[in-house]
Amino acid sequence: MTSDQYAAATRSPTDTDVERPADRSAEPAAIAVEGLSKRFGSDDDAVTAVDDVSLRIEPGSVVGLLGPNGAGKTTTIKSILGMVLPDAGTVRIQGIDVAENPRQAYAHVDAMLEGARNDYWRLTVRENLRYFATIGGVAPDSVADRHDRLLDQFDLAAKADEPVRNLSRGMKQKVSLASVLASDADVVFLDEPTLGLDVESSLTLRRELRRIVEERGLTAVISSHDMDVIEAVCDRVIIMNDGRIVADDTVTNLRQGFETSAFRLTSPDLDADTLSAVRQRFDVTDATAREGTTTVEVATDSDGFYDLTALLRERDVTLASVATVEPDLEEVFVELTGERDPRHNGGDPR
Amino acid sequence: MSDAPTESRPAGYLDLSKAVLYREYLIFVRYPANAAGGLVFSIVFFALLFYGGRMLAGQALTDSIEGIVVGYFLWTLSVGAYSSISNDIGSEVQWGTLERHIMTPFGFAPVALLKGVAKVVRTFLISSVILGIMLVITGTSLQLNLLTTVVVAVLSITSVLGLGFAAGGISVLYKRIGNWLNLLQFGFIVLISAPAFDLGWTRFLPLAQGSALLQRAMIDGTRLWEFPLVDLLVLVGTAVGYLGLGYLLFQRATRRARRLGVLGDY
Repeated sequence: MTSDQYAAATRSPTDTDVERPADRSAEPAAIAVEGLSKRFGSDDDAVTAVDDVSLRIEPGSVVGLLGPNGAGKTTTIKSILGMVLPDAGTVRIQGIDVAENPRQAYAHVDAMLEGARNDYWRLTVRENLRYFATIGGVAPDSVADRHDRLLDQFDLAAKADEPVRNLSRGMKQKVSLASVLASDADVVFLDEPTLGLDVESSLTLRRELRRIVEERGLTAVISSHDMDVIEAVCDRVIIMNDGRIVADDTVTNLRQGFETSAFRLTSPDLDADTLSAVRQRFDVTDATAREGTTTVEVATDSDGFYDLTALLRERDVTLASVATVEPDLEEVFVELTGERDPRHNGGDPR
Repeated sequence: MSDAPTESRPAGYLDLSKAVLYREYLIFVRYPANAAGGLVFSIVFFALLFYGGRMLAGQALTDSIEGIVVGYFLWTLSVGAYSSISNDIGSEVQWGTLERHIMTPFGFAPVALLKGVAKVVRTFLISSVILGIMLVITGTSLQLNLLTTVVVAVLSITSVLGLGFAAGGISVLYKRIGNWLNLLQFGFIVLISAPAFDLGWTRFLPLAQGSALLQRAMIDGTRLWEFPLVDLLVLVGTAVGYLGLGYLLFQRATRRARRLGVLGDY
């Protein structure tokens, strides 16, 4: 299925099946973007980084932003935040126009845009939390308990009075994230929040991030190359390619939209001759033989599946197991963008 | 452990002032090597200038030593204020913290202003130590009326803060040109020695009027209230004017950087 086919088969981003609390239906969208466009350069050298992007994110949603390098993810986030001035389009955060009333809008927002270099390395961890809470509009003493909890949640309590410059890269990343959560911002943008973290730290961060978001009712937009993070943390995924949104749905719906109706069959007596006959009539996507058992994956619909089992029955093939094959988010991403896993690419220039 | 039930209090400008000034204080006291290095360099440079000049110019230098001491004092003040502002903005861009400051309910303007105040105070403290050592080295004495000296010196370097903001704006746009912009510091020598009272228009240049008034205050003992009102108005006007113009240029540069999408790049 191509992105166009997917778009035709699904509904518009504004009325997707994202789970929304009923009592929030009357609230303004946490983030509402209409017709956002941005071109860099001029004439022949011009590059369209964001092309007529519209989206609506409800309060309390956790949305993942995926796309290959140069897809326009970072420019979209920075345009929403006003750090890149768009050529066209409007952005509202909690109903406030960011271009017209930036100060009011920024009272609701914080962002981790530069990974680990997003705070002051000469200050201690706690001093950073207090400083960024203050410039975010919150008196630091009034949220001292929150800061203690953040330090505990991100395993930073023992390093609270240590200058950030003395910490490991992974810990700096956690401090950066904690400083974004230190104020009263109810909309947070996190660009690659798990970049540079080891597996254990990444799992801790995912778990705590999800918990904090739920407990505080935050709206979060997470851009990441790590699809496991997106799949684990996000309610909804927006996939961008060439500056446009090519998919916007829940992880579950995206998987269902790309259901390939593939079946995985294992058999102890499926010989080469039978496999050849199956290949002649069906789309065999994978076939392996190990320790006397042959496993075959066949892409077909339910009618085709009945034909396949009839063929195997004719040849007295015993089926040890039959299972449907579920696509994961990475397969959906590859289908939509034509790109391999974005982690295999180089740096993202925008 | 729940994260939900925190009752927060909104931060006002007083909280912001405390936070910014405390941050500057922490960096000053926690990393004294930078300040000490600048202090030693300034004293060694002055000592070379003084002893070398005395060998070459003899009595001529001795006759004008008070003017040189006052001029050097103002130059160290100016260099400190200018470089701390322009380098600081470059560092904020490099660290990604400039964007975070812009994305706040306060904006960057009050933070920049407070930082400017902190830098001026810090520079004043360091330059005062340098002045004291210079007086000892040269065996000179000056008329030091604290009120007059502080007011005239602060207003003088306020115009330099404006130049610092303008240079910071250029850094935001073009990155990594801090070394070139630091060359401007040597231009301050020309501005400090400009004949503000002989050529009317030069008094409107940054530092020129302040330098002339500071010379009078520290050498002749003229008190603040003894200066002609017009001279003081020119001093205040140039201070506010250059600071405002510099900040305006910084804001224009920042806006252009946002349009080009290079604000956070380094």
